[in-house]
Amino acid sequence: MILSNKIRKLVMDQEGWTRKMFEAGIRMKKEYGVENVYDFSLGNPEVEPPAALSGRLIEMLEHPTAGMHRYMPNNGYESVREEVAAYLAERTGLPFMAIHVFMTVGCAGGLNILFKAMLNRGDEVVLPSPFFWEFKNYIENFGAVPKIVETRPDFQLDLAAIEAAITNRTKAVLINSPNNPTGAVYSADSLLGLAGILSAHRRKGREIFIVADEAYRKIVYTDAPLPDLFGMYDLVITVTSHSKDLGLPGERIGYVAISPRIAEAQLLVSGLMIAIRALGFVNAPALMQRVVGEFQRNSVSIDDYKERRDFLYETITGAGFECVKPEGAFYMFPKSPIEDEVEFVFRMQEEERILMVPGRGFGKAGYFRIAYCVPMETIVKARPGFLRAGKRYTRR
Amino acid sequence: MITSNRISRLMESSSWIRAMFEEGERLKKVYGAGAIFDFTLGNPIAEPPQELKQGLCDMVLSGEQGMHRYMSNSGYEEVRAQIAGFHRENSRLPFTQDHIIMTVGSAGGINVALKAILDPGDEVLVLSPFFVEFMFYIENHGGVMRLVETTEDFRIDTAAVEAAITERTRAIIVNSPNNPTGAVYHEDEVRALADLLARKKREGRRIFLISDEAYRKIIYDGVVLPDAFNLYDDTISVFSHSKDLGLAGERIGYIAVSPRLEEAKPLIDAMIFANRILGFINAPALMQRLVGRFQKNSVDVTGYQEKRDAIYNILVESGFEVQKPEGTFYIFPKSPIEDDVEFIRVMQQHHILAVPGVGFGRKGYFRIAYCTEMDVIERSRAAFLEVGRLYGLGPG
Repeated sequence: MILSNKIRKLVMDQEGWTRKMFEAGIRMKKEYGVENVYDFSLGNPEVEPPAALSGRLIEMLEHPTAGMHRYMPNNGYESVREEVAAYLAERTGLPFMAIHVFMTVGCAGGLNILFKAMLNRGDEVVLPSPFFWEFKNYIENFGAVPKIVETRPDFQLDLAAIEAAITNRTKAVLINSPNNPTGAVYSADSLLGLAGILSAHRRKGREIFIVADEAYRKIVYTDAPLPDLFGMYDLVITVTSHSKDLGLPGERIGYVAISPRIAEAQLLVSGLMIAIRALGFVNAPALMQRVVGEFQRNSVSIDDYKERRDFLYETITGAGFECVKPEGAFYMFPKSPIEDEVEFVFRMQEEERILMVPGRGFGKAGYFRIAYCVPMETIVKARPGFLRAGKRYTRR
Repeated sequence: MITSNRISRLMESSSWIRAMFEEGERLKKVYGAGAIFDFTLGNPIAEPPQELKQGLCDMVLSGEQGMHRYMSNSGYEEVRAQIAGFHRENSRLPFTQDHIIMTVGSAGGINVALKAILDPGDEVLVLSPFFVEFMFYIENHGGVMRLVETTEDFRIDTAAVEAAITERTRAIIVNSPNNPTGAVYHEDEVRALADLLARKKREGRRIFLISDEAYRKIIYDGVVLPDAFNLYDDTISVFSHSKDLGLAGERIGYIAVSPRLEEAKPLIDAMIFANRILGFINAPALMQRLVGRFQKNSVDVTGYQEKRDAIYNILVESGFEVQKPEGTFYIFPKSPIEDDVEFIRVMQQHHILAVPGVGFGRKGYFRIAYCTEMDVIERSRAAFLEVGRLYGLGPG
């Protein structure tokens, strides 16, 4: 066999329904025309970078400096890390410095180097579910074990379940808020609760880190900003991407932020330096590093997303689907009206030309994910289809 | 401890590198950077070709919608088609876009290829002296590195390769032009290796040839790099644009799979999948768009060749035993004493910074990276002569 057993299994696992669905989607777009197929399956935001950022990029390219495309230190340009640290210090009130910031090849790259640097074989990472499926792959890449823990019916953290999942091999809890696929934003209370549990373990001599994937940090609809984890617990490491907030997903740029309260921060940075080289990233792309530093305070226009969220939520609940109202990201995760959600998703393709992703792709069968980072027009045109399906499948 | 055992061990075993690096930094502070001859870093100083810089600027100026978004994990189709065209012409083999995967540099590419083929315990042969990162890349995916010494003058020792092949051998990494020796393997050597691998295949042991051609365009004296695709069917070549287009910090390269490789489709699919789960997702968007049409371009090699001649002449004049490199920007002379680390310390006292051979798996040698300004090489002459005299080498 040409492939390793490990990768073959992974490829096969995803090949079943994802491939079938993906292919059905392509076929339908050919048959009916792209505009008559309502694709809610991809978390690929169609936003452009802020005009000021493109302007800055142009300015930089019109006045090139020698060495601007060369290697730099593995953790990134010091000046850029200083800019990011200044933003973090301002946001959190903690003494972030350049050393606490590590530029990465997006969030996915950040998580992989972090896990490579931190996890031993057999170490466990507690992972609240539903979850972005790649997390499992990232953890398993290094021989570590994801310990999947259900969230509550409202998709908030189930603290008792997390407590019960902790063993003497637990190295970290990986949280993702705002969450893909549920759109949940973990409340300050639940995060304080989590911090309390981990602090108790710490007093008993077991250090467990919170690793927070904050790729969707700036897409929240609540009045209050995302709760500040760094203020709640010492052992916090966040991973951020500029895919969503600066519209740069294809450029692969993000960073790891290490709490200044972690005593071994310097050691972790040395570990990350080796990990980023060993895994072949080497460093985050040079040109993009240079532009993102000064745009830390920028944000996406939330109003557009909020309008879509509101309209879609009204449509979905109006159609009779059961759904928790998302407070962030651009995902909604309603309950499937029939038990087998893969069947339901296929039927929605065939009957209404609406493309979505079954919940089991996120570790939770019986639900489906709608990604609404699409033009408003798509949602408006898909509305009658959702309403018809609601009549057919829900008991309303 | 915050870091994993494995990473901690790596940090420890490379502690002498840090000590050396720090001593270098200290010397620069005390005497001024201008007074220190730093030959440690393979950070190519050649700038990208002017047309490329202009192309980049024009591209961003065009303001085309969606240019920074995600694309397929294998990269833009049109870019892969351009690269396939280059290889069709080069190798006279039917390359198509489906044989090309855009990657985060060649380091990213090798990791992706190894992730797709290695199971824990599988062995990968590496010709030594070698680029130490290969060991990390292999171990990332549970593989085991088996070193095969090259001959005294750094040529492939086919008999040694054959002796190192076992039941678990899955691949051999060949890096030509070579870091650290500057050797370029000639057609007869690569053909002998290919014949060996073909014989092993007939005997039921399929071994992939992973050809790391990151330095393929930095080649001197009219030497021609043999075309691995035409010598062995199961060839996977990995390319980078760090050196030929001066884009090291931008992390752009690609994998080309031989059209003659059997079962190429599942292998390529698995590599695309590995690109995703290792957290690369895709090669940086902007750089992809750029490099497709610059496949035939190169940096000015005559500049490097002049430096090669200058440093080679200085080393010979100082009495060092050294092979004249035919490619890259490295030269790998013999240390006058067995303990190369000690010798490096002595050179530091004479303000020359270089890397001991033990860092590349061969004690008793040292590596000079001459991708520096010519002026640094010229000014280092007196110091090399002095070191030579100290050890009673050469004319004195």
